[in-house]
Amino acid sequence: MARFAGGKAPFLRASDEKDYGTKVMMKDFMIALLPVILFTWYKNGIQVYLDGNIGLLEMFYPLVFILLGGFISVMMEGIFVFVTNKEDRSLKGIMTKLSVSFSAIPGLILALLLPLYTPIWVLIFAAFIATIIGKMIFGGFGHNIFNPALLGYTVVGFTLMGVINNAGGLFNASEAIIDSYAGATPLGALASSGQINYDILVAPYGSLWDFFIGTIPGALGETSALAIMFGGLYLVIRKVIKWYTPVIYVGTVFGLSWIIGALSGDAGLWFPAYSVFSGGVMFAAVFMATEPVTTPTNILGKVFFALFLGVFTVLFRFVGSLPEGVATSLIFLNIFTLPIDKFTAVIRTKRFTKPGGLYFGILTGLLLVLAVYTLVKAGNMYTVYIPYLGWVI
Amino acid sequence: MIFQKIKGVFIDGKKDLCKKSPLKEYLSPKYVYIPLLQRTSNLKAEVKVGDEVKVGQVVATNEQQMNVRVHASVSGKVTAIKKVWHSSGKMVDAIEIENNFQNQLTESIKREENVDSLTREQLIKKMELAGITGLGGAGFPTHIKYKTKAKIDTVIINAVECEPYLTCDYHFITTYPEKLLKGATYMMKAADATKVVIAYKINNKQIREAVQPFLPKFPHVELFPVKNVYPAGWEKFIVEQVTKKTYNGLPAEAGVIVNNSATAITFADAVEMNIPLIARPISITGEGIKKPGSFYVPIGTKVSELVELCGGYVEGLDPLKYNYIAGGPMTGRAIFIDDLVVNDTLGAVIVKPVIEGLHPECLGCGKCADVCPAFLTPTEIKKAFERKDIKLLSDLNANKCVECGLCSYICPSHVEITEAVAKGKDLLRKGAK
Ligand code: SF4
Ligand code: SF4
Repeated sequence: MARFAGGKAPFLRASDEKDYGTKVMMKDFMIALLPVILFTWYKNGIQVYLDGNIGLLEMFYPLVFILLGGFISVMMEGIFVFVTNKEDRSLKGIMTKLSVSFSAIPGLILALLLPLYTPIWVLIFAAFIATIIGKMIFGGFGHNIFNPALLGYTVVGFTLMGVINNAGGLFNASEAIIDSYAGATPLGALASSGQINYDILVAPYGSLWDFFIGTIPGALGETSALAIMFGGLYLVIRKVIKWYTPVIYVGTVFGLSWIIGALSGDAGLWFPAYSVFSGGVMFAAVFMATEPVTTPTNILGKVFFALFLGVFTVLFRFVGSLPEGVATSLIFLNIFTLPIDKFTAVIRTKRFTKPGGLYFGILTGLLLVLAVYTLVKAGNMYTVYIPYLGWVI
Repeated sequence: MIFQKIKGVFIDGKKDLCKKSPLKEYLSPKYVYIPLLQRTSNLKAEVKVGDEVKVGQVVATNEQQMNVRVHASVSGKVTAIKKVWHSSGKMVDAIEIENNFQNQLTESIKREENVDSLTREQLIKKMELAGITGLGGAGFPTHIKYKTKAKIDTVIINAVECEPYLTCDYHFITTYPEKLLKGATYMMKAADATKVVIAYKINNKQIREAVQPFLPKFPHVELFPVKNVYPAGWEKFIVEQVTKKTYNGLPAEAGVIVNNSATAITFADAVEMNIPLIARPISITGEGIKKPGSFYVPIGTKVSELVELCGGYVEGLDPLKYNYIAGGPMTGRAIFIDDLVVNDTLGAVIVKPVIEGLHPECLGCGKCADVCPAFLTPTEIKKAFERKDIKLLSDLNANKCVECGLCSYICPSHVEITEAVAKGKDLLRKGAK
């Protein structure tokens, strides 16, 4: 007679296979960032070099900046593990911990959210907020409430934007000398002019095609809808994300923007297209609204999350004084991930009988009220300016 | 969401390990150990140490709970009552019978004249007296299902065997196709139904080939292929596919009774020869077994003897790096000591390597909720269990979990999520009392 190993059913696990599991998903996530990284390197490095506005070495700066973001995050987590984990401080022990923590991802995403000429110390500070405050303090991978990269970005955005702008900010050497930009991004143009006018919002940057391809000023990773879509497609095919989260989110922003445009007297489709292709909507849709840890788990939760996110993005963007609604709305909704998960799970099981129906009613009701509120207020935004409405709610 | 339709997941069957070799009979072990536990019923021994018993003689009963009866599976002398390992993962008392190799039959085992004139009541009585239970793993006394007041129009024979590795039903059916059809027909009569549907996995065309030649004699029987996914063999899933109807509690609500194919074959013998449930098929398989195979053995046979017949474990097997699983790999139980005996629900023993690895935490991907055939949300049930929130557990229908294991199977982070849901289910049951 022999003594055998214990264990719990099922004794077959898909994750025992080499080609399936969280590690593979996270690797896929990084691969999906590649088109975005390559595009931004092309746009902010290679193309600028070809224009003759920077030197050969500087050409590699965007790439170095992004990789540095990943590297710094990994180092910080390593140091955190070293400091907190008294039992095992060997290099091997730390490496093992890091191998299931996927620390490079928040760093890479963080770098992609930031403007090209962010000073390195600001990047380090943001990475600290992201990995240590945003993730490790909560208990590490799987326990964080906020999207780490987004938290780092938001904190920096609220506190150090002036520093970043002084250092050169969003505009690469070629963009900085284009007069028509007048030192503003498309969203900046909307915020300062307050008008829905093709000639102010789109024409200075070329055409909507440039918005789609991504040859407009903006943070490193957010400008190219095309590159982001490639990444998103890859993630969907590899079953890392669900297709409907980005589609519903972008669709909501598109739809609401369209109505807002129409209310302001221009029902052209260019405005909603401008709205989703400018700022971080596309990037957030594919890489952050789908981030599994900090967004709801079940299908219905994801759907509600995407809808709410769309409404809040529009609300924060067009009503209130924030130039960019994406990050704020995401961070804000991260707080509600847990309750959304809980209520939608009950709806899933109880369907429309009590209390599922009740919860369903509350969630849809809330969503509708918010959407209507946003529309009413945003339709007025160009006449009545309501400061900080986003924070009043 | 709105149209909840069970999809199931394709899982590599690994059935080839044991499919090729035919069903072998191993009917005369030196000792058998009849466990005094059946499903949740503790049984009372009806024989004493020193008694002589014959094949088919009642040796243990529990009259309070659904009149469970267990029979001697060999003839010989009761030599002891001792503890053995049982597929439930516990050690239980068992009646040890030393085989005298005479194969003396008890008087009631004889050919039944006029099988065709048996009434519904007589058939159900036979089921009860023969101690027939669900051989698919549930172990529920079959006669209870047939005592339903509901109008039954179809008896579904579950020949799906959707768990990976398992081939005992497959072997049993392909060896006794005619008995299967007969048993199913008697079941149909016992249910006052008009139709039999045999559900089998579409890739098991050998089952169709084996059964088809006999079908002209059984015009009321229909073969129904189901998809090669897990859990295609789950009662509710089969009923939904066959009848396009669903139910909440028992299949009888949809006008059907579902029985395992091995149960039907056993019932054929019980009707025609009055042989009670004393033997069953079992697969001994897995990567840790030298020559995996399926056997037809008396209840109470030691599994170790069957492993010997398979050539033993593979060379150099380190038991601490292997699981010894009673039942299928998805729902079975790890047994620590390889001293198990065959009981009525044990369809397989699988010896397979433990795959070690470092796994991240739950990342909230939601795959577990996507695959759950009962449409539950395992992660939330887990949280509710951790907070001991009984109200929430009931809002989340934790009691509806069928412990199919799919959520843990699919989890990319190797979370023991099935176990967590099962605990939540337990807490809900205890808390609700
Ligand atoms: S074990 Fe339970 S919770 Fe998990 S998939 Fe099966 S039925 Fe659903
Ligand atoms: S338990 Fe596993 S499958 Fe379920 S959400 Fe967590 S990681 Fe995903």
